[in-house]
Amino acid sequence: MRNSPIIKVLIMALLLGSVLLQTGCAFKDIDKRLFVAAVGIDPSDKFDKGFKVTLKIALPFGAIKSSTKPGYAYISEEGASVGEAIRLLETHVDKVLELGHMKTIVIHEELLAGHLQEFMDYFVRRADIQQIAYVAAARPSAETILKVEPSTEAPASVALFNLFGDSAIESPFIVTTYLFQLRRDHLAKGINSVLPLIETNEKKDELIVNNSVVISREKEPVILSIVETKYYDSLLKGSTGFTYQVKNDQLKLLLDISESKMSYKISESKNQTPKTIEVHIKLKGIIGESNKKLSVSKLDEYNHMASKEVQKKAYHFFKRMQEENLDPFGFGLHYRSTRLHRRDVVKMWENAYPTIEFKVKADVKLQSTGTIE
Amino acid sequence: MGEVENEAPAYLNRLAKQLAPSADVVKKTLKSKERIVHLLYLKSVVDMMQLQEIIVKPFYELPKEQNFADYIGSLPYETNMPSGDEDVLIEITKGNVFVMLDKQINLLELKMIASNTVQEAKMEPTIHGPQLGLSDSLETNINVIRQRYHQPSLIIETLQLEEASNRSYALVYDKDIVRPKLLKVLKKRIQSIDAKLIQGSSDLQHHMNDVKYSLFPTTLLTERPDRVLHNMAAGKVIIIVDGSPHALIAPTVFFDFMASMEDNYYSFWVVKLIQFLRYGGLFTCIMLPALYVGITSYTPDVFRTELALTVAASRIGVPYPSFIEVFFMLIFIELLTEASMRLPTTISATATTVGGLILGTAAVEAALTSNILVIVVSLVAISTFVIPISEMNYAIRVCRFLLLIYTTVFGLAGLVLGMLGLIIYLVNKDSFGEPYLRLFWKNRQEELEADEQ
Repeated sequence: MRNSPIIKVLIMALLLGSVLLQTGCAFKDIDKRLFVAAVGIDPSDKFDKGFKVTLKIALPFGAIKSSTKPGYAYISEEGASVGEAIRLLETHVDKVLELGHMKTIVIHEELLAGHLQEFMDYFVRRADIQQIAYVAAARPSAETILKVEPSTEAPASVALFNLFGDSAIESPFIVTTYLFQLRRDHLAKGINSVLPLIETNEKKDELIVNNSVVISREKEPVILSIVETKYYDSLLKGSTGFTYQVKNDQLKLLLDISESKMSYKISESKNQTPKTIEVHIKLKGIIGESNKKLSVSKLDEYNHMASKEVQKKAYHFFKRMQEENLDPFGFGLHYRSTRLHRRDVVKMWENAYPTIEFKVKADVKLQSTGTIE
Repeated sequence: MGEVENEAPAYLNRLAKQLAPSADVVKKTLKSKERIVHLLYLKSVVDMMQLQEIIVKPFYELPKEQNFADYIGSLPYETNMPSGDEDVLIEITKGNVFVMLDKQINLLELKMIASNTVQEAKMEPTIHGPQLGLSDSLETNINVIRQRYHQPSLIIETLQLEEASNRSYALVYDKDIVRPKLLKVLKKRIQSIDAKLIQGSSDLQHHMNDVKYSLFPTTLLTERPDRVLHNMAAGKVIIIVDGSPHALIAPTVFFDFMASMEDNYYSFWVVKLIQFLRYGGLFTCIMLPALYVGITSYTPDVFRTELALTVAASRIGVPYPSFIEVFFMLIFIELLTEASMRLPTTISATATTVGGLILGTAAVEAALTSNILVIVVSLVAISTFVIPISEMNYAIRVCRFLLLIYTTVFGLAGLVLGMLGLIIYLVNKDSFGEPYLRLFWKNRQEELEADEQ
């Protein structure tokens, strides 16, 4: 019995098992990691052309039900590049920095001029960063925005995640841009990417997102106003909501739009240069607010009035983008992808775009006045 | 008949001598004026009332013109007389009465069976369907099957095990659908069993497994007559051992163990939902502990952010790494299951309450485990019981430990690897020539072709 193999195996198992219970036995568990919720990038003061990186770290907390405020830690470091700064930041904390849950990248407004390669490259290459992370511009600085803890923020939910996408707030004023989308649009010819602009109030307890920034590789970013942001979002992405104001001499209507569609056609002149863009906008919805008594029989009248208004505003928006030589809708990309390849197709578009003619037609179909007569 | 011989014949004496000195051996000689009969039986296994009614009474009451030997020969209780003393003795121990009348010898089966009542189906309860299972007696069990399956092609082959207990067992099958090769393989396997004592179908099942270190059962043990019929009608062979209230079904594939008889009783979508739950339960109980370790310790990115934060928070203060925590809790829950199974039903409820509720809460309070893990482990424990057949249930419980070890060492990739290994093992396995992981699915073309054949 003494040399029985079973006894030997048992003793081995016992010894190995007791090793596991020793103090030296450790494992990189979830409680040894720090979850970075958001990254902020600002221009550096110390380094020329360097960056200041701020990390917003979500802290785990014991009883979610009893804690009222979410817990965050903030660490910042400056470095010649983003990667370098994050590498240094790893030495500032006692746990592993886990970027797998990093879902928002906030960039200082000033950094958006010119090519983004310098600081965005790190996020595209690092394997554990998800390409569905949101990218946003920040004013006055990324650090300030990250440090805002809105009073509506609940424990275990990050406000910066809830703002974008359609999972929480759904508003045509908020543009959502993903990391993969930004990279794709930024590098492609014939389209300019649009980033939401996050601002805060004086008390620093609110995050306000209703403007956006159009960025281009060659020039300074252009800020879109609230109305322009709304038109961009609802025309290109079909966002809907309670937000379309229509005015005429006596009547003031606020439309609640439930369906919005834009289609367009680029027509060419004889020598194949693009000449006009015919845009057709279709909106469907009901009247949400009015300053006068409304009648269902006059619905066609309201339709006509709303169509004219939408047509005018959309035309102005297209025209302004054209003057800035920006193309957030990607007309150029569409043109490139629907024409047979010629050597000068990009160049032809670039030459033609500043003088191209917009023909906007809007069709608003109101389904009811919003009340029962 | 002239002179009546008083002495018992030498053959009877020889048999009686071999059975002595058992207290229950009875050697009796019935004598009247013109005839004499010698009886040899064991009184503990023979029904006395029947003996009195069938042999003793007619012996004295039959008019002398009639031949008593013919009467004995015409009785329906007769069993075939085997050749050789040894076999005759075995028949006597089974409850046969050895009757010797002049030169004529007969064996009459007048067995008394203490427990031939059918028992309630306790292991595989269903709401609909038969509530009673099988019984301890082979005859009753065969009767139960015959009663539900009236086909002349139903064959019952009664054979005898070649070990200490010399038990009879029956192979039950429908000869029109069973594959002859399967029968041959089965018989050969049973005959080649080298065991000292087989007590019933449960250990017969164990011995029929030809691999020494096996995990998954290759035959299905059931107590439900509807499951027996369901499988027999599909061309399988049923093995019933005398003295055991369970029937063995062979061959079986993995999916037979996942089928409940209730699947035949409910409407289509209800059954689909139940099956979905059952397979969901299977994957939960096999993978969830490993998933917990893999995700918390290797790739927390898989969680949603909120969940990751909650899990991280619930692990604050837990002294041991996640895999030891999971091992600890799994062993705890296995102990609980085993304990409540062994205990009498009246006490087992208390054991579960004390173990599950009080210890579970206390373990979390004492920061020995995270409360998320308590949820995980209870979910695992509950979903284990969704698997209808208990042998498969045990096999799966072993599997999850293997997967846990793989995941502890290699992370989520290890979990995938472990699952792959498990599938390879199952694919490689067979049950009496049937591939173990054989799918019951056939595509339309195949079904059409099967019709034409």
